[in-house]
Formats: sequence, structure tokens, C-alpha cells
Amino acid sequence: MTAEADAALAAVVREQWGRLTSLLLAQFRRLDLVEDALGDAVESAARRWSRDGVPDNPPAWLHTAARRRVLDRLRAEAMAQRKVPLLVVEQSGREEAAVRVDTGDLVEDDLLRLVLMCTHPALDPAAASALALRLVLGVSTHDIARLFLVPEPTMAARLTRAKKKIVSVGIPFAVPSADVLPERLGAVAQTAYLAFTAGYAPGSGPDAVRTGLAGEAIRLVRVVLRLRPDEPVLVALLALMLLQHSRRDARVDEAGRIVLLPDQDRSRWHRDEVVEAVRLLRSPSLTGPITVQAAGYAVQARIAVEHATAPTAEATEWDRIVAHYDDLVALTPTPSARLARAVAVAEARGPHEGLAAMAGLDEELSHSHRLPAVRAELLTRAGDVEGADAAYALAIERCGNDAERALLRERRAALHDAPH
Amino acid sequence: MRYVVLIAYEPGHYDGTDEAVRQEYFDAHHAFERYVDEHGKRLDSAALSDADLATTIRRDADGADVVTDGPFVELTEQLGGYYDVELPDLDRAIAAARLLPKAYTLEIRPVVGVEGYESA
Repeated sequence: MTAEADAALAAVVREQWGRLTSLLLAQFRRLDLVEDALGDAVESAARRWSRDGVPDNPPAWLHTAARRRVLDRLRAEAMAQRKVPLLVVEQSGREEAAVRVDTGDLVEDDLLRLVLMCTHPALDPAAASALALRLVLGVSTHDIARLFLVPEPTMAARLTRAKKKIVSVGIPFAVPSADVLPERLGAVAQTAYLAFTAGYAPGSGPDAVRTGLAGEAIRLVRVVLRLRPDEPVLVALLALMLLQHSRRDARVDEAGRIVLLPDQDRSRWHRDEVVEAVRLLRSPSLTGPITVQAAGYAVQARIAVEHATAPTAEATEWDRIVAHYDDLVALTPTPSARLARAVAVAEARGPHEGLAAMAGLDEELSHSHRLPAVRAELLTRAGDVEGADAAYALAIERCGNDAERALLRERRAALHDAPH
Repeated sequence: MRYVVLIAYEPGHYDGTDEAVRQEYFDAHHAFERYVDEHGKRLDSAALSDADLATTIRRDADGADVVTDGPFVELTEQLGGYYDVELPDLDRAIAAARLLPKAYTLEIRPVVGVEGYESA
């Protein structure tokens, strides 16, 4: 009974948290009360459901319990005559919608309002992604703190500050006008990708927890994509995330060391996710005119597809990958895109061409460990042991990640073991 | 909600512009004002002189007033004016501010009531 109740509660929190939050926000306009009230409702459900059984309609039960909590607090405030600023809630659209359609759609609109509010560009991006995980996905503050590698009180303060800014500056619980909506959905994508990359390419710390963050970021995109199924930026981003995420079980070995792409056990890649990503990339929504941001995600995803669908590392179609990188550099000529292109050029045309393609990057990537790491690898292949050794030394000095540094040390040591 | 939209611009940008460019500026300001009228209310506004006409008063460590020539801080951009408006939310304030001339950088601040204070 208890196990069943726990499972039911975990499922409803995971699936319905964002909907319940948005429903309560629309009703009470109190960002400061709703989250606590819902948290209390979940706590009391944990006790009551295991004793009395799981209710017929678990989300409705939670909604009623949370609603009561909010009303209690409002009554207490009325007694104390406290005046609290309210969240700005879009009224006109809501009333029309209530008359026009059934409540199901209304709630979906509220969920989109919630996502757009959490990812508003006026919020600090790191706080915005944490807030989205908390309010839309129901990830606990404790877990969000672990995912972002900060102490729980720090994360709690960050979330409180973000919520306070939303109310004080009048960030509305609303869907913006049609001319602004695409750029706001771009901000949603950016927020989700920020959380995802924080998990996928950790700056430091253990790996397993961070994969969880990447998984939650994917879930966030899925939630929004369900509300806006043909939004190019979300389609392309989900494809990109799925492809990168599909390699999670192969990118670290049992000892926690990073395994590079060519050495990964391809049977451990999640094929279903690759298949879904390939299907997403064929979506008609990506064939029309799309934003630079969406195109950037799509091109990166197409590069990842080349890797994901090559039967072996040796069979990788590097010429096609170089062509995709040419597109990417044309779209967003960032130093990291140019460095990645140089790696592809080296694979397609040999280490000397790769090294030549890195020209001019040193100044722009003067703190990156990746640049000397790549150079070291290419110099090794070109037979320049001394040059490679110096480049590895620089890369090790600059690297801030335990697992990556261990790998670089290993490569440097192998330089001197190998017969040459 | 009540917001102040602060306008920053690069000095000299507007000086010596021809009639056509000036008209563009005026049109942009009119578009902003029409948007505010449609969605809220204009409360106040002003264009400020260049910062080279600014006078700054600072209080030194001993509490003495020190009057000097020039603005608070020397920046490439300087405060050029403001609008004090009432609009339903930040999205409307952003939408309005985006109508202003492209040469401006804009900062939006909510106006707050200071608890316990009553104006004299």
C-alpha cells in the first residue's frame, strides 16, 4: 500500500506539478504562497495516501489541499492586514478562453504562461533555469542545488530572489503578443539548453548527478514542445539534446574516466533517442525560414547525427561533418565552432590541415584547455612529440574538471611510452 | 504598474543630424507615446542636456558637500532623458521601449513606494 501510494504521488508530482502550479497562480496570483502550499499538500498526501489509499483523482486531491493552504494563509494575512504585491496575470485572454474552450486547454495555456514567466529574459539565466525546474517540473530545491553544484541555501535564495523580481517588476503570467512570442520561445530554448550543457559538460564534480540535470532539461523542452508542437527552435533543440544525451552511458567508464567519442562502446548508445532525433530533424517545421538560433541547433544536431549513425568510428563520414561545420561557422562564427571544425578537418584531411584550421584561435581562446588539448592530439598524430608534450602541459594547467584532467595526463604519459 | 524608462545614448549621436534623421527620432518617440496612451498612461517625461552640463554633488568622508563639474560617472553612454509611465506589466513596458530610436539603450525600472514616507 505504502509503496503504491509513494509511486502514485511521485508520478503525479512529476507529471502534474507545473499544471497545478499554473492553475493556482492563475487563481491566487501569489507566487510566494503557491509553491509552499503545493509542497505542503504533497507532504500531507504522503501521509494520507498511504493510510487511506490513493484518491481517485490524485491531481485534484493535491489541488484542493494546496488551495486550502493558500486560503488559510490569505485569511491569516487579512487578519494581520498585510498587503502583498500580486503577480500580474493576463485577464482578457483567460476569460475568453474560459468561455471558448474546455478547461483542459485553459490549463495548457496556463502552463505555457508559467514556462514563459520562468524563462523571461529579464531574469538572470541561471536563476531562470533553476526556477523552471522548480515551478514547471517540480524538481525539489534540494535536488536543483545538487544539480547546479551549489549549497541548498544558496539555491533557495536564488529562487526566492527570482520570484521576488518577477512580482516586483511586473513580469506577467501571460502569453506575449504574436510578434514577440517566437523570441520568447527562443529564450525558453536557451534556458533549457543552459541547464542541459551544465549537466552535459560539467566544469567540475561527479558525473552521474549531472546526467540527471541534462535529463530534466530535456523534460522541460518536451513539456513546451507539447504546447507548441511545430516551434522550430524547440524541435531542433530537442533533437540536439537527445543526440548528445543518447551517449551518456558510454561517455564515462566504470572508474569515472571520460571515454572519447571514437573509443565509446556504441552498443551503449540509446538508439531510441537517436531515432527520435533523426525523425525530429526531418520535421517540416525545419524546412521553412527559421531563426539563426534554431538553425544553429539544427546544424549541430545534424553533425551529431553523423556520429550517431556511423556504424564504427572509422566509418564516420568526416567530409559531411566538415560541410556541416562550414554551415555552423557561417551561422555563428564563434571560436568554439571554429575549433570543432578544425577537429573535423583533421579527421577528414589529416592533422596538418587540422592544425592549419586552428590558426588565429589562440587569442580568442586564451583560457580554454580544449584548444591546447586538441593541438596536442593533432601534433601527436603529426609526429611532433615535443610540441605535443608542451601543448598537453598547457591544457592540464588550464583544465578545471577532474575527469578531463585525468584523461589529459594519461594522454601525455602515453606520448612518452609509445615507440617513435 | 508604474515604470520609469531611462534613455541612454552616445553623446554627439544626435548633433548635426539632418532633417530626415530627426524626423525618424520624432516618429519613434511618437510611436512610443501612442503605445503608452493605448495601453496605459503617460505621467511625465523629460529630455536632459548633455552630461558636460551636469553638476555633481558628493559627500566626502567627513560629510562635507563637494560640488564638481560633470556627471555621476563618465561612461560612453550617458543619461539623456526619461519617461515616467503607467503600463500593465513589464512585457508592455518592454514593447513600448523597443519603439524608441534604435540608437538608444534603455533601462526600465519599476517605481516603488517608500514605506512610511509621505511627501511634504
